[in-house]
Amino acid sequence: MRDAVQDDIIKQFDGLEWLDKYGLLISFAKELEPMDEKFKTEENSISGCQSKVWIRTYRENGKMIIDLDSDAMITRGIISLLLKVVNNRSPRDIVDLDLYFIEEIGLKSNLSPARADGLASIIRRIREVAKREAN
Amino acid sequence: MTDFKKDFPILEKEIYGKRLVYLDNAATSQKPSYVIETISEFYRSDNGNIHRGVHYLSEVSSEKYEKAREKVSDFIGARDPAEVTFTAGTTDSINQVACSLEPILKGNEVLITGVEHHSNIVPWQLAGAKLRAIPIDEDCNLLTDSIEITDKTKLIAISHVSNVLGSVNPIKEITEIAKDHDIPVLVDAAQSIQHLPIDVKDIGCDFLAFSGHKMYAATGVGVLYTSERFSDIMPAKGGGGMVDKVTLERTTYLNPPLRYEAGTPHIAGAISVAAAIDYMQNIGMDEIRKHEHNVYSYARKKLLETDGVTGYGNTDEMCGSISFNLDNIHQYDTGMILDKMGIAVRTGHHCAQPLMRSLGTEGTVRASFALYNTEEDADMLIEGIEKVRMMYA
Repeated sequence: MRDAVQDDIIKQFDGLEWLDKYGLLISFAKELEPMDEKFKTEENSISGCQSKVWIRTYRENGKMIIDLDSDAMITRGIISLLLKVVNNRSPRDIVDLDLYFIEEIGLKSNLSPARADGLASIIRRIREVAKREAN
Repeated sequence: MTDFKKDFPILEKEIYGKRLVYLDNAATSQKPSYVIETISEFYRSDNGNIHRGVHYLSEVSSEKYEKAREKVSDFIGARDPAEVTFTAGTTDSINQVACSLEPILKGNEVLITGVEHHSNIVPWQLAGAKLRAIPIDEDCNLLTDSIEITDKTKLIAISHVSNVLGSVNPIKEITEIAKDHDIPVLVDAAQSIQHLPIDVKDIGCDFLAFSGHKMYAATGVGVLYTSERFSDIMPAKGGGGMVDKVTLERTTYLNPPLRYEAGTPHIAGAISVAAAIDYMQNIGMDEIRKHEHNVYSYARKKLLETDGVTGYGNTDEMCGSISFNLDNIHQYDTGMILDKMGIAVRTGHHCAQPLMRSLGTEGTVRASFALYNTEEDADMLIEGIEKVRMMYA
């Protein structure tokens, strides 16, 4: 099923050269609100990432609020996009969501399980939490 | 300036529409046509299992495999080809020594250096040894004056060249200290065998380990040199091809080198190592050293002169790798943009987490050079770095 937020992201990346794609990612990275240092704990970090990634989730009015941060800009850019898509939805919605935008904007290599970057493990973690919350 | 690129077909490849600038040689090197053709030719016309057949192909394969051993033996200055065994690579070589020496190492101590990669750390821990590192100064020189040997020290295991920094360790100085205390020395030559002439007799080490794939040969093959005085240590692996008599009660083993090569070895791999040696010797190790030294020095100087670049390590002799970081830019971000410019570097901790801790960084960007790299490649790297800095400004 198509999703308006993802379609909008895809449109923004459409037809861009790689340099501009990365430029756009960096501007999304700069938009991302940094996570409070006190939450950047070992417990909140996701391993398997070449850059460091921290995740925090909580419920507000039935919706899931996800807070992500990374020490690398490209990763921040990608998670900034990811949050636009997944944040503030019901856990059930998140579980059912098909994250097709990552492939369609040309960041598929970042998803590869073999890549130490670990975007796949970030998504896995979000889905795990959502599944738990949905049940 | 000599350019050996033409010998390496992969270097003609374009990545994202850009000429490939391959600077990840410390991870693995590219292969010259000569090596690729030798491997192909082996499977095309010679393939048989070795040391166990009376038929023609078995004979031919056995002969080529043993010739490869002789070639390696001569290349590293061993006294006898029996001191050379083929393994799966540097890591496997070190693990085999750790496993064979386990009874001696358990509860005792292995002296390493402050610049080791995990392959020269973890196997000793698995063998039950405690590790102590020879400290390094701020330029990453080994502080050999502070080497302390105790009754518990049973082995010194040191890298010849650091995979992160490119610093050359004073291995001869260390083997001399070790000799005074009658302690065996293992040299990890993974990052030196392709850059520097090596003579095990001159070094005076008891073990030397290296991989084929970093010296222009196949992956999955490596070498362990074991000096004659350790020729009777127990094999780490058992199975076919290494035994003399087997009964259900007791097994006796063949003499080295076959004792240490259980199962069917990587025959084509071993032959590819010999081909790689032929290729390098045809150019000449001194010539390779001279050419690489020029390119490396040029790259290092230009890199360190670039605004916002911090380099790591600075010893008298260096080769292969250069590690650096850009101010306020994560290594991963640097690597990603360089990749899109067709420049292959490695980023992260390079399997040397203790060293990263002493450098005070999470990771570095590493550009590592081989004989086919040129000053132009270095210029492309600098250009790439300028672009990275511009993008993250």
